[in-house]
Amino acid sequence: MGEIAKKPTKVAVEMPWVEKYRPKSMNEMALPSAKVEGHRVDLAEELTNFIRTFFKEIKSINEKNKKIRAYNRTAVEKEQKEEIKLPPEKTAVLLEGPPGIGKTSIVYALAHDLNMDVIETNASDTRTRDTLEKKLKETVKSRGIMDFITESKQKLILIDEVDGIYGTKDRGAVPTIVDLIGSTQFPIIMCSNEYKQSLQNLYKNIRRFEVHPLPDEEVFKIAQNILKREHISSLTPEDLQLIIKKNMGDLRGVINDLQAISQGSVSMDIKELILNLHRDSTEEIFALIRDLFQKVNTLEEARNLTDKSDVDYNFLYKWVNENLPTFLNVNEDLANAYENLSLADEIFGRIRKNQYWALLPYFYDLFAGGVALSRKRSPPTKGFRRVVFPRYITSGSYSLTSAERSMIDKLNAKYEISSIEAVQEFLPFLRILCNSSRKQLKTISDWLELDAKEKKLLK
Amino acid sequence: MIPIWRIKYLPKSLDEICGRQEVIKNLKNIIKKRNFPHLLMVGSEGVGKATIASLFSKEFLGRYFTANYKLIYADVPLTEEERNLAKLGSYVSTSKIGSIAGKRITTPAFLKVKVKPFVQLKVLGDVPFKILIVKNFEALGSNQQGFRRLMEIYGTNCRMILITTKISGIIDPIVSRCQIFLISQVDFQSFKELIISISQQESLQIDVPVIEVLYKLSEGKISRAIDLLQLCSVSGNSISLEKLYENAQKFQIDIIRSLLLLTLNGNFPKARELARKIISNYKYNAHELFKLLLEELNKLPLSKYARVKLLNFVADADFRALDGIDNDIQISALLSKLCLFSENL
Repeated sequence: MGEIAKKPTKVAVEMPWVEKYRPKSMNEMALPSAKVEGHRVDLAEELTNFIRTFFKEIKSINEKNKKIRAYNRTAVEKEQKEEIKLPPEKTAVLLEGPPGIGKTSIVYALAHDLNMDVIETNASDTRTRDTLEKKLKETVKSRGIMDFITESKQKLILIDEVDGIYGTKDRGAVPTIVDLIGSTQFPIIMCSNEYKQSLQNLYKNIRRFEVHPLPDEEVFKIAQNILKREHISSLTPEDLQLIIKKNMGDLRGVINDLQAISQGSVSMDIKELILNLHRDSTEEIFALIRDLFQKVNTLEEARNLTDKSDVDYNFLYKWVNENLPTFLNVNEDLANAYENLSLADEIFGRIRKNQYWALLPYFYDLFAGGVALSRKRSPPTKGFRRVVFPRYITSGSYSLTSAERSMIDKLNAKYEISSIEAVQEFLPFLRILCNSSRKQLKTISDWLELDAKEKKLLK
Repeated sequence: MIPIWRIKYLPKSLDEICGRQEVIKNLKNIIKKRNFPHLLMVGSEGVGKATIASLFSKEFLGRYFTANYKLIYADVPLTEEERNLAKLGSYVSTSKIGSIAGKRITTPAFLKVKVKPFVQLKVLGDVPFKILIVKNFEALGSNQQGFRRLMEIYGTNCRMILITTKISGIIDPIVSRCQIFLISQVDFQSFKELIISISQQESLQIDVPVIEVLYKLSEGKISRAIDLLQLCSVSGNSISLEKLYENAQKFQIDIIRSLLLLTLNGNFPKARELARKIISNYKYNAHELFKLLLEELNKLPLSKYARVKLLNFVADADFRALDGIDNDIQISALLSKLCLFSENL
């Protein structure tokens, strides 16, 4: 989006279209489909039910608790009878789905329809224990004098971007939310993009809705509607289709793109603009590698190319390694290129190990320019060349395949041997032995109780 | 019925160990005395150090063997999971006493995951202490300093038997803390008796001259000799010299040679493909692969100048791999240089 952002915008500051066209109520929005544990459900109906039953049950529980509280006069008695809590599956739900499909919108629309206020916290807030408690617990737990005023308008708690909780910044956030789910006086809806292992405690016991993206036709209708209301006619239906396809179900992305296009310069080819908006990161790397080997003629050009891309250089030089033989095919050039690349790798290792960041320019120039300009005798490769993903990434640590691992486990039950010794010495022997006769293969695999996959290792 | 002979004829007690009577006698004395210092067993590859150590622990610990015994391999790196596990516990939060940062406890990951949990636990049952065996101890490298502390702190609770092929790789403070056992190669007389007893049980026909050759071919490694014997037995019960040589050929890793041939033909893409396959099949690290390549290169009939040149290439690649991050790049670089070298031969 770089090029658009740089252009001075004459348009007065206006609301982001995403906010402008956010649906006010459930009736006017296109509801995404959803699943719970693999069964299709009606999201609007389920959520409305969830909130209605929550308030019904919390009311009865509060009354019971009031009695308990009245009954528990002394501290001793208080310990004996605890207040009742609602089970977590009745106090909180989780909406899971890719970004921009309307998870947040649906919560706001729901609140609007049920005449409720939304208390929102999202990844932009620092969610340490303290700040979260300040923000939520006060509103959630206290039912005092304010109750009489707020009774008319209930509250709904939205914890957006739950999966964005991580690191030291949000220390202690997960336990706070878990506490909150146990003690809340208001229903909680959480939104998340992906399942995260570290949030397992949070996911336990609550209902998880899988929300699916809207179908493209639906998105198309909405987009056309917006274009009509903004009086934009320069976009053909084909272009619109292209934008929608590029966004892959992300309605918010589509709307943002439309706004960006409407603000971009009119002289620019619209298609070009769209392609600029969405350059897939892998596509970008492919193009970059091709340009590096096929277009670059000077060190500066190579520099410009790597500077311009936002591909992580950690990866980039591995791509160069993988694709080098495709573009250079004379051994002399190859050796020269690898001389530079291996030096670059060594330098990079020292930078990482000892923080010699002053060496970084050498690394940059060596792995890009140094490699691309090693072409002396190889004929320039013209036309399309297949660029491949770095298939082979050595991290220095060794790892066993699952078949090898399970086979060595079975072996270890009968014969104590280290996994390295097993793969380097023992397995090759077994392979020779099994190749010498089929009977051996059968007796050995029977003895170790190998399955088909493990047996393959012996062939 | 165990189909693999080297497992089938594994000694089941110290008495069954082939040869090395002196060492066995000493170990048996220790068992009688019920006490020993940390042990360091030194001997060349495959002579049976680990087998002796584990049988010794078994007899020392008696019926409390399984609970008080552990064998770890210092040369097997931690898996991703284990490394994460070590990281997870390496923070001890001191936030309760007012600091936000929390304090970091720095035990080397390997010791933390593999050694500490075992040595910290109390002895179970009626034995004086537990026994920890560390195989290929020299591979521990810089972690040896940390290990030395553990030897001191938990020494009363757990005795360690360190096993190594090269004593020079072990730091002095550890050597001085151990009683050293030299495990020699098995002598020919005992070797002959073992092979003859196996041949009788498997009804093989083998002559003494053939056993002599087998002894030489296996370089004192009993498991290798038994492997070879089993391989020969597949094609009939009588074992001749020709058969022995023929099967011994199969043992040599000729895949390194074919890698070298590809580079000498100047075919870089294929050579790289094969190198990657070798690494993923045999789990060599870059250093091991370079070493094997150099060994194979030295067998080529080349002039002394070419030899030095090649040595330079391999050394350079190995040196860079030490600091570099992506070993594949260093391996590819070496292969590309070899490809070029072959063109100018």
